[in-house]
Amino acid sequence: MTTPLLEVQNLCRSYGKVQAVRDLSFTMHRGQITGFVGPNGAGKTTTMRIAATLDVPDSGDVTIDGVSVLVEPRAARALIGYMSDQFHPYPNLDVLEYLDFFARANGLLGEQRARTVRSVASFCGLLGFADRPATGLSKGMGQRLHLAKTLLHDPQLLILDEPASGLDPRARIEFRNLLKELAAAGKAILISSHILPELGEMCDSVVVVEKGRRIVSGSIADIEKTVQNDQVVVLRALGGTESLQRFLLTQPDVGQLVVDGDRVRFPFAADDEALADLLARAIGAGLRVVEFGRGAVDLEDIFLKTTKGNLQ
Amino acid sequence: MSSLDASLAPPPLPAEAALGRWSSWSDRLNPILVREVQQAVKGRMFAAAILIALGVTVMIAVYIASNHDPNGNSGQGAFEAGLATLVPLALFVVPMQAYQSMRLELRSGIVEQLLLSRLRPVQILSGKLQAALVQFVLFVAVVAPTLATSYLLRGVDLPTIATSLALAGLACIAATMLAVSSAAQSRNAATQALANIGTAFGLGVGTFSVVGLVLSGEFTNGLAALLRSGEFWRVASGVVVVVGYGSLLAALSARAFLLHAFENKATPFRVALFAAPLLGCVWASLAFWRMGAAPVIAALCFGLLLLSLAFGLFFVTEQRELSPRVRAHVPATSLLALLTAPLLPGRDRGLLCFLLFVVINSVVAMLAVNAIGAGAWGGSWNSFRDIYCFTAGYGCIYLGIGRALRQRLPNTLGGNHAGRILLPMCVMAFMLVPVLIDVFVHGAPRQWHWGHVMNPFWTITHFERWTGSGAGPSPTGVPLVFLLMVVGMVLLQLPACLHGVREVLAASAARRQRQLPVVAPPSPSPSA
Ligand SMILES: Nc1ncnc2c1ncn2[C@@H]1O[C@H](COP(=O)(O)OP(=O)(O)OP(=O)(O)O)[C@@H](O)[C@H]1O
Ligand SMILES: [Mg+2]
Repeated sequence: MTTPLLEVQNLCRSYGKVQAVRDLSFTMHRGQITGFVGPNGAGKTTTMRIAATLDVPDSGDVTIDGVSVLVEPRAARALIGYMSDQFHPYPNLDVLEYLDFFARANGLLGEQRARTVRSVASFCGLLGFADRPATGLSKGMGQRLHLAKTLLHDPQLLILDEPASGLDPRARIEFRNLLKELAAAGKAILISSHILPELGEMCDSVVVVEKGRRIVSGSIADIEKTVQNDQVVVLRALGGTESLQRFLLTQPDVGQLVVDGDRVRFPFAADDEALADLLARAIGAGLRVVEFGRGAVDLEDIFLKTTKGNLQ
Repeated sequence: MSSLDASLAPPPLPAEAALGRWSSWSDRLNPILVREVQQAVKGRMFAAAILIALGVTVMIAVYIASNHDPNGNSGQGAFEAGLATLVPLALFVVPMQAYQSMRLELRSGIVEQLLLSRLRPVQILSGKLQAALVQFVLFVAVVAPTLATSYLLRGVDLPTIATSLALAGLACIAATMLAVSSAAQSRNAATQALANIGTAFGLGVGTFSVVGLVLSGEFTNGLAALLRSGEFWRVASGVVVVVGYGSLLAALSARAFLLHAFENKATPFRVALFAAPLLGCVWASLAFWRMGAAPVIAALCFGLLLLSLAFGLFFVTEQRELSPRVRAHVPATSLLALLTAPLLPGRDRGLLCFLLFVVINSVVAMLAVNAIGAGAWGGSWNSFRDIYCFTAGYGCIYLGIGRALRQRLPNTLGGNHAGRILLPMCVMAFMLVPVLIDVFVHGAPRQWHWGHVMNPFWTITHFERWTGSGAGPSPTGVPLVFLLMVVGMVLLQLPACLHGVREVLAASAARRQRQLPVVAPPSPSPSA
């Protein structure tokens, strides 16, 4: 296993009495897109700002490619692109001038600067807007400009705080594709969002936090498996629910039955093997099954299952 | 964007061509300067200021032309009108513009984007200053015809014009630095409203008084007199040194607000404090070469002692421990670590730094006094010595109290600010409470008594009056008791100072440890 690109170690940060982040640890590798989810006030922005060297923790550390953000903030800054949840461009500058300024600020000179600005603007689909004033862009174009600015210094790790909020569905899909391309180019992306289906589409791993604590983390596939085990099973058979219920009440691992029209739902506390056996027994018992299966698990289920909805 | 470069490098755009010409020669300029100029060119504010200034100069020109009296001094009038047009621009418009631009960046979080780039806080500040200077030069160009006319009308001579412009430039730099600095302080929400009002009010009042001075003719006459007298270089160099030092401190404090929280903010201030006596001595020796610089140096040392009290208030209310970043970068050699320890951040080291400064400053003052020969001072030497010693002693006592007080406050940034407010309040309390007790217990404030020994002003005046006249209740014990108090306080604070030094030495040792090559554990030899 290579060394992780981002390593958050036992991070703690409180504001007065509010403990925004408590003993949070997780890691990320190159090429990975990690979703960072949690209810409002869970400490996502705080964690991201600490990783981006804009805030300091009470204890704990964050290393980026082995560089501690507390000991070498300047070196760490060269490795990160941080896109905050707010974007305020300068007044009286057009899009290209805005990018040109940040390219200068990042130490790019001459031809290299012009080339970088051009390729970043084109990558983010901004070429058609080059001479528009930066303050007069729509929300979606503003987000693109913000991303373009973040990419100028070729950071290894992108930290994006709710980048897709306020985008229309098409812009969101385009934004998602941009991020996928960046991950394919070897960048690691830590992205927080409340639009879970969206995150599920592009993330390969997820960190769920609540009240500053890590609830679950790992690859989405692994977490799905653990969540799936107590996922509700739906069963529908011809000939009414009476016989169904009579059959199910005699079966092991079947929880509380809920009748929903001509379907019966119940939690099933065993693995897929046992579920297949249950189906075989149902058919063996003469039930004419037309629908049988667990509901599909997605990020939303993971989120709802693991968090308690406690806000702070 | 190396990964994206190859696949996505579209041909240059039309908008880029314009940018390209401009960027080819602006490569080496400060990016902030480039951006501010680009924004100013597109913005309305700057154009409006230029147009108004142009309008005023044209009006002045028309007025002079229509009222020209070959024998009168309309030349001086033209000069003063031109200067009075320049002063509000240099002292108000330019600094306020820098203030606003800094405020905008701080308020909307743009500054965080800047800080994440490769720009250092010092570059950001110098960019703002350079942009201000460019504007100043443009404004000078606008009023230049008026000033030239005044010269042609023989109202003023060239040195007066040149000196006035240099002074205006210096004032513009200082005012801009102060404005930018106060904008940077307002990163702290609590001081925001105060900074807004303070800056606008301060710059406004300054501008009005200078304009008044210029229009009354006193400025021109005073400057001309100064230029003719032998004092000019002395005054001019003194002004440059003081304004330069003040602007440096303003820039350092602005920089401290822009730096990462764990970056070392204290050392530049401590170095600036130690550099001040050196700078003062060099300036005084050069400026007062013929007349003997010693009395000036002695007076300077007293002024610096007062300045160091203000520095000390900040030194002793800092966070106690070294930040992870500073700890990782202390000098690796223990001797160097020991020598630099008083310069490193932390309130324990801050107190040590103040004590060291008092020692060094006192030595310089003593050497200066010796060079003059105490006899040449007469009685005023005793007075100087007493006041100096009392001030230094009270500094040690109160800053010791300040450090101990800060130690009891929460270990947060808020605790630092609270300490900085509580210490002056504590001094006030020590002065007021004995007076109140006198009033309530005895009906009226009595003469000085031992209860007032913590009141620096009263104790010093009382002691001075007694040594002057030999009358009144004898305070012979005062110097002794006071000395015991100072020594006691220093001894009480010594463990903390030592703790501060030990922390640095430990960090240095840890750094040496890290730098050691990692030696693989010796493999067990076959014979063993
Ligand atoms: N500057 C601050 N001062 C005081 N409290 C703060 C500050 N920043 C964050 N907090 C508190 O810390 C907690 C975590 O906030 P944070 O912004 O990290 O949450 P979040 O997960 O990003 O929430 P959201 O999903 O709403 O963006 C919240 O309770 C918030 O009130
Ligand atoms: Mg947030």
